[in-house]
Amino acid sequence: MKPKILTVDDSKTIRLIVAKAFKQFDCDVFEAANGVEGLAVANREKPDIIILDITMPIMDGAETLAKLKSNPDLKNIPVVMLTAEAGRENVLRIAKLGVRDYLVKPFKEDLLVERVGRVIELKAKGESLQRIRRFDDPLALLVVDDKPTIIEQISTGLSDTPWTVNGRSQMGEAVDFCSQHSPDAVVVSLSLPEGSGFNLFQMLRANSKTKNTPIFGMCVKTATEDQARAQQMGFSGVLNKPIDLEDLKAKIARSLKLDTSYKYFQVRSGILAVIIPTHASAATLNEVTQHLRAKVSEAVDSGISKLVLDLSLLKSADINLVKLGLETIQLCQELSLRQRVVASDSVRTECRNYEETKDWSFVGTFEDAAKVLNEPAMATAA
Amino acid sequence: MMCEDMDKLVESSVTEVFSTMLNFNLESVPPDDPLLNGEQHIASAVGFIGRLTGVVYLYVGSGFAVRITSGLVGIPANEIDGNEMVNDAMGEMANMVVGHIKSTLSDRGLPCQLTIPSIVRGNQFSIEPVSTTQRRVFKFKTGTDQLLVEMLIKPVGGH
Repeated sequence: MKPKILTVDDSKTIRLIVAKAFKQFDCDVFEAANGVEGLAVANREKPDIIILDITMPIMDGAETLAKLKSNPDLKNIPVVMLTAEAGRENVLRIAKLGVRDYLVKPFKEDLLVERVGRVIELKAKGESLQRIRRFDDPLALLVVDDKPTIIEQISTGLSDTPWTVNGRSQMGEAVDFCSQHSPDAVVVSLSLPEGSGFNLFQMLRANSKTKNTPIFGMCVKTATEDQARAQQMGFSGVLNKPIDLEDLKAKIARSLKLDTSYKYFQVRSGILAVIIPTHASAATLNEVTQHLRAKVSEAVDSGISKLVLDLSLLKSADINLVKLGLETIQLCQELSLRQRVVASDSVRTECRNYEETKDWSFVGTFEDAAKVLNEPAMATAA
Repeated sequence: MMCEDMDKLVESSVTEVFSTMLNFNLESVPPDDPLLNGEQHIASAVGFIGRLTGVVYLYVGSGFAVRITSGLVGIPANEIDGNEMVNDAMGEMANMVVGHIKSTLSDRGLPCQLTIPSIVRGNQFSIEPVSTTQRRVFKFKTGTDQLLVEMLIKPVGGH
């Protein structure tokens, strides 16, 4: 469903500028010339975001915002305030109103789009027609290596996914495969004889069918010249042997923009659970971080006010995990979410080795967290 | 606030607004020749009231006003019909310029409120200050287009 943007401004010029800024995106823009109209349109259309001017006749921005916040159907709609006045006092006043963001006129359209894009997902027109693929959708991978054990290792390692691994040992076979099938991604050894791995890359890039197919190189860590050459030529990435299969999955997912968020974000009993899997490599935590703001904002916009960071599958903690935890908790504070961290005693102890976790509120299970978070706010600290 | 500071503030506010909203690079030039050239021109004004009280006028020829409007709203100039859209666009430009000035004045301990924009159109008119009012005039060029900015200011409380 297309996101809806409501612009409320007494200046027709500003309303047209806002509409123009979002013309290239797949969204609907609604207008209102003052706060009264704005509330009526908001009630009718339930926009995903409201861009609200401060100074307006009939009902100004501050009063409009207060009325939005007092309406249970509208209070969670994020508001970006527009103001012509950038003075310190005015900015502080706006910040106290409880808006998601603010923009000072004059503003570049790109900045408006960027700020709105932080709150709602904006897609270019046409892009949303392509179905977003998920990590658990079938994919066809081509692995080119003259060592059968490597192909076998990758095939076995990806057997927990619905991805099909097609192995070929020579450049010629790989080219034949690509002419008959369209692999979603290619992984090629950079140590193939006579540089044929690099030749394969060039041939695939020259072919219209495969010019945009992600192509990853494989080599041993010490083959620094091959790595440098691959990066220079424009390979999608380089994987070091022995292949870290979680890293391979993450790289392929990223290059194909596969939606992996469902693996880490689930709503249970009205609480957003951020679930860190057992093998939480740096790449995995990075993946979670990339989705974090969008998924938490999405949850808040749908009325969720509680979050659980679930570390119960982990056996240990490290600095990357602590960083993710800090970012999650900071985001909760920013968006006024109550939160708890679920972890075993051993993980809790390891987390406590980091000074930054001293304020983390740990519980043992998700159920314990739900019980605490569902208590009235006065009884517990957020 | 010293006159020189105010001059710099007005110049920077005008150039900032035109640059950000329209990508127009305005060049400050001596305000010697009048803007009037037989073309109808339009003056948009926004006032400010507080420790400093005054009004800022933006004067442009009607052709330039249409081009400004076109640049702001993304409608080709030849499709802009009537005065309403142009009046609104020029009013908004004045609002942003004076808003920018106001923000700086507020940060310097000279808070003030803005008035709503107003528009005057005509072929031959000028706005004269009364004797107690200071008048500052600025002229800008971009290509063959010109913009005159006039600030009338009356200090309150001796500033």
